[in-house]
Amino acid sequence: MKAITANRLIDGEVVFWKSGQWVDRFGDAQLFDDHHAADVEAAVATGKSQPTVVVDVYPIDLVQSGGRWAPLSYRERIRALGPTNEPTHGKQVEGGDVVEALRHASGAARSTGRVDLIRRK
Amino acid sequence: MYQYDLIDKEFLADRSAEFRGQVARRLSGELTEDQFKPLRLMNGLYLQLHAYMLRVAIPYGSLNPTQARRLAQIARDYDKGYGHFTTRQNIQFNWIKLKDAPEILDKLAEVDLHAIQTSGNCIRNTTSDPYAGATAEEVDDPRVWCEVIRQWSTLHPEFSFLPRKFKIAITASAKDRTAAKVHDIGLLLRQGRDGQLGFEVIVGGGQGRTPYVGPTIKQFLPTDRLLSYLEAILRVYNRHGRRDNIYKARIKILVAALGAEEFARQVEEEWSKIDAARADLPAPELARIRAAFATTPFKTLPARSETFEAAKASDAAFARFVRNNVRPHKLPGYAIVEISLKAQEQTPGDASADQLDVVADLAERYGFNDLRVTHAQNLVLPHIKLDDLPTVFAALQTANLATPNIDLVSDIIACPGLDYCALANARAIPIAQDIARQFADLDRAEQVGELKIKISGCINACGHHHVAHIGILGVDKKGEEFYQLSLGGSGAEDASIGKILGPALPADKVATAVDQLVGAYLAVRTDGERFLDTYRRVGLEPFKEAVYAQAD
Repeated sequence: MKAITANRLIDGEVVFWKSGQWVDRFGDAQLFDDHHAADVEAAVATGKSQPTVVVDVYPIDLVQSGGRWAPLSYRERIRALGPTNEPTHGKQVEGGDVVEALRHASGAARSTGRVDLIRRK
Repeated sequence: MYQYDLIDKEFLADRSAEFRGQVARRLSGELTEDQFKPLRLMNGLYLQLHAYMLRVAIPYGSLNPTQARRLAQIARDYDKGYGHFTTRQNIQFNWIKLKDAPEILDKLAEVDLHAIQTSGNCIRNTTSDPYAGATAEEVDDPRVWCEVIRQWSTLHPEFSFLPRKFKIAITASAKDRTAAKVHDIGLLLRQGRDGQLGFEVIVGGGQGRTPYVGPTIKQFLPTDRLLSYLEAILRVYNRHGRRDNIYKARIKILVAALGAEEFARQVEEEWSKIDAARADLPAPELARIRAAFATTPFKTLPARSETFEAAKASDAAFARFVRNNVRPHKLPGYAIVEISLKAQEQTPGDASADQLDVVADLAERYGFNDLRVTHAQNLVLPHIKLDDLPTVFAALQTANLATPNIDLVSDIIACPGLDYCALANARAIPIAQDIARQFADLDRAEQVGELKIKISGCINACGHHHVAHIGILGVDKKGEEFYQLSLGGSGAEDASIGKILGPALPADKVATAVDQLVGAYLAVRTDGERFLDTYRRVGLEPFKEAVYAQAD
């Protein structure tokens, strides 16, 4: 399973792709089945064609956590939650099931989409 | 303190207006991200994990209360109420919005602050001794020379697009509080036999993926020739530094490749071609700058303060604070006070807006409007009367700023790490907090004595792990956070690069490992030996055994 992430240009906020929109919460992100790679590519391409809306668009791998999907890499979990040293800062403040699932997710791995981005640069 | 003149003020206002235009053009799509990125970086604005980060320059780590209050206001109005002091004496705000950045730069410019030279391949903000102008150890006030370099280097047309970033540190004391030997250029002010002042010039030190303690390329550079000599060094670097490979672009690689002797020869050759009358600073201008730092209206005081002695005798907490955080001043009746930003559970180097206001008030009321930032991510009130120390201590206590741990095991340097930084491989802050918790007992921490732990979340080494007594480097091991320990580094006058202890450890084993290292040290230390001294005497083996024996 995959999701697509970026940072919003105007404020740097972490955002996720949802059917043509960019949303703030990972819980609202559109999830793509692995056999829908072409859809992911198309969505990433659309994101990249919106340079005044978002920067650094890339797909992230997801993993099951407590019956929900969470980013596989801890880097992406920190992006989706906020800094671990300040639990009252960032998206994690809202709490709820998705935030809990992200907090307890394991199966750490490099952020593959991000690594591609760095390589390209 | 140096006061900006009309030229400086107009320059900052222009710069801010220019950036406002650049941001507007980016938001409208007139500029692409690739075009805009170098422009925002020239104004200290990075894109990090959660938001933009603005790095504000604090030239040579020196602030006045008005500036500190403005930083507090920015933390409140545009961030989440705090800022993070860095190992280069700057401050970073972690939650900045691009749309607010021009307004923030305006507000900084109003109090002579800016974000110039905090990013990009230019000569960065020059760092210096936080005790400058206060310690009896120094042969001259290093801030004078930092200010000379600031005026010379800001937007220097020849040196704004160097092969890579370029960092200079200046100290005028034998005890080095600037990590000068691991900078691109370290300038050590010395007094010659005839009483003349000169710089020992160290070039090509650095950390990152290829750490070096820099070699000395000139033993004694007369101070009046500083700018022409710097120009010669930078010219040689600008010409021959490697632009083909970002990992080999720093001057340390060039100096190591040529050898210090050959590099020095090329600098001398270049120097001989430079017209000194054009390049060096005219004496009247130096005198003008010097005068700005010589105006602290100290009083003549007795060396002994009864108020201070009585407080020390009656209040054990105050006595402990004095032992660890108070240093001798050059003048009788005064003291240098270090304010630790390493309280239990605190993020190393973070200060809240309220704390910044408290420190600004103290500097204003008791400290000649003078406040400093250290490269160890703490603050300093450089001129406090002994008579006022108990009052200052009480105010610091109320603001959770009186942690008596300077240079002790819990005074840990940590970069923001993966909690904020887009480059990090692993978190640094929670590791620092784990270790501080392990050594929360202040009696024990004092018994252990000076022990400098420094943590970086990636090989770029912003957390100075290479030059730590115990260095900790976060690595990504098959996608998990692991930590590689190294021992025996020092960023001080006895500079050295640490040696790797053994295989990297998982996050939950690091604090225990530090405890084991301390145990091994205490078992074999002789009187007066610091951790570093013991390590240098006995080597890596006993420490290796302490950490890895059980695991085998």
